[in-house]
Amino acid sequence: MIKILIIEDDINIAKMIKATLSIVNYKGHCCFDGKSGAEEAQKGIYDLILLDVMLPEMSGFDVMESIKDCGTPVIFLTALQDVADKVKGLRLGAEDYIVKPFEALELLARIDVVLRRSNKTQNIINYYGISVDVNGHTITNNGEPVQLTPKEFDVVVYFLRHQDIAVSRERLLSSIWGYEFEGESRTVDIHVQQVRRKLNLKDKLVTIPKLGYRLESQDRE
Amino acid sequence: MKLWQNIFLSSLCLIILAVNVISVVLLNNSHRLLIEREQSHAVNEFEYFAASFSNSAIYERLKVGKIALSQEEVTKIASDMIENRRQKGSSAAIYTEDKQLLRGDLFPELDSYNEFSSYVSDVKISTDSYSIHIFDCGTAQYLTICSALKIERSVYLILTATDISEIYALREQQTEFIRRVGIISAAVISMILLIIVILLLRPLSRLNTYTKAIAGGNYKIRIRKKGSREFRELAGNMNIMADSIQKNATRLEKIAEDRQTFIANLAHEMKTPLTSILGFADLLRIKKNVSDKERAEYASVIVEETKRLRSLSGKLMELIALGSTETEKKPVSLPGMIKDTETALAPLLAKNSISLTCSSEDIVISADEELFKSLLYNIIENAVKASTIDQEITLNAGMSDGNAVIAITDHGIGMSDEDAEKVFEPFYMVDKSRSRKAGGAGLGLALCVKIAKLHNAVLTLKSRPGEGTTVYIIVSGDECL
Repeated sequence: MIKILIIEDDINIAKMIKATLSIVNYKGHCCFDGKSGAEEAQKGIYDLILLDVMLPEMSGFDVMESIKDCGTPVIFLTALQDVADKVKGLRLGAEDYIVKPFEALELLARIDVVLRRSNKTQNIINYYGISVDVNGHTITNNGEPVQLTPKEFDVVVYFLRHQDIAVSRERLLSSIWGYEFEGESRTVDIHVQQVRRKLNLKDKLVTIPKLGYRLESQDRE
Repeated sequence: MKLWQNIFLSSLCLIILAVNVISVVLLNNSHRLLIEREQSHAVNEFEYFAASFSNSAIYERLKVGKIALSQEEVTKIASDMIENRRQKGSSAAIYTEDKQLLRGDLFPELDSYNEFSSYVSDVKISTDSYSIHIFDCGTAQYLTICSALKIERSVYLILTATDISEIYALREQQTEFIRRVGIISAAVISMILLIIVILLLRPLSRLNTYTKAIAGGNYKIRIRKKGSREFRELAGNMNIMADSIQKNATRLEKIAEDRQTFIANLAHEMKTPLTSILGFADLLRIKKNVSDKERAEYASVIVEETKRLRSLSGKLMELIALGSTETEKKPVSLPGMIKDTETALAPLLAKNSISLTCSSEDIVISADEELFKSLLYNIIENAVKASTIDQEITLNAGMSDGNAVIAITDHGIGMSDEDAEKVFEPFYMVDKSRSRKAGGAGLGLALCVKIAKLHNAVLTLKSRPGEGTTVYIIVSGDECL
């Protein structure tokens, strides 16, 4: 299970991040000041650190400096739009930054990218009879290979990784087609329908009115 | 033209002009004196010549025993006289009444000079006056004296000439000398003048350099006071100017910096609750299975953070309104305002079961009643936030050193000196989590400072961790009635 250290002085934000992480089954641990956060990070048991910049005791940048040697990837959270701060954070070795306030799925998407980069995500995902090899870009349904376009493949992987979460069309667009893509949400609908058809997911990949789509999780009992 | 060039050239011209005029006047004066001397000398000689001429004529007449001498005899005497005279280095000529040359032995240059012959023909014949004339023949100058003389019943015109070339040559020589001396002295004077002018004006270029530096933004430098009094005064005034510029620049920098900090803090304070609200709302939206417990938790966080935003925006509006509206000050009784504030605070005090004891001297101050009450309210509210159940808060108002002093004391958590220093800054919170739970935005005291400023009052505080805090509102005596 992925373990993530949250260093954030505002209790409610920390709580919110922890709850967000829990929906994709990541385990979050909260520290409320820079000093204890740095100490916790030194243990080296975390896959990722979410670090606030404005912290009591020790600023986020100082924390980053002190935990450089651990090699744990860091995403920092900032309330400032200041470019200089972002550059400073990235120079200090942060993998990415997120500007507050942010949506839950945006946070998860950033975390996902960083974890994938450090090879900490699952490569093989099994869902009912479907088996996906993320690195090998292959997908089989009950042992039979299925032909998918690259974008369709990305859509499948995205839903598999975010089971039980209602994903808006905009979120899918920005996560799979990129922020610059100025496509319409129709594009998303077409791809989802293709995926539903090719993988027989009619009952599982449900439409949520006024929002988007959700992939129901595998029964866990 | 530059100032030093101006001063230098004009004074140099004046000096040279003055020197030249004086030397020319002196020179002409001495020349005139020399000529006059020569003239009187020549007149004496002429007198002598004329006297000896008539004496010789009388002597000759007696010797020959005639009644009158003939023209030939007179001519002979004249020849002798002139011959005699030539030996003395002077020349003479004798004419008849009708200006016919009887006998003459004049200087050749003079004799051949045109002006001389016309002079001779024009000269008025008079026995009792002299006609004195100077002829400048270019190469030589002559002084002539001419007068009529009656000898042996007939009138003769006698003219003597003296060579005065030497005097003219002397003047020429002196002029040349003065010219040379003048050129040399002008050169020397100009050098000295140049040095003096440059030395005197040097502080000016120094002032210029400093002014440029100050204009260029280096407000720290100060000009050394050197040179003449005007320059020292100017330097002093420029230093005063630099002082005030520096003061203003620092003040503006401070204001800009404060504003920057304020905006950064404001962004942080607004985005923090927004992050929780957006995050939890999003979770409620996208999560498939939300338990009742989770829903309640998420919703309560959203409500809590929304309240925080509400409080922040409220305080912010107050702060903005305070800066833009005019305060309406009128005489208000301080005990009355304290009583009103007490009433307004009663529910809050009851909720936290904290007692408030107020005592006030009968003071009337000039104040905007609503604003001043809100100042009192904010400070007592802070005291309540710092206190725990069953503690006491006291308020004492009285006159001290001519100022009205209101002291609000609590026995709550108190704070360190370090915190006490920053506590009046906007958004500064001693204990963030505690303050936020109480709905604080960190703007209360900043608001108080602003209100106090409008009332010519100062806020100070004394505090010790664990023992409590006393806030003093010191209203200047000018506002007390």
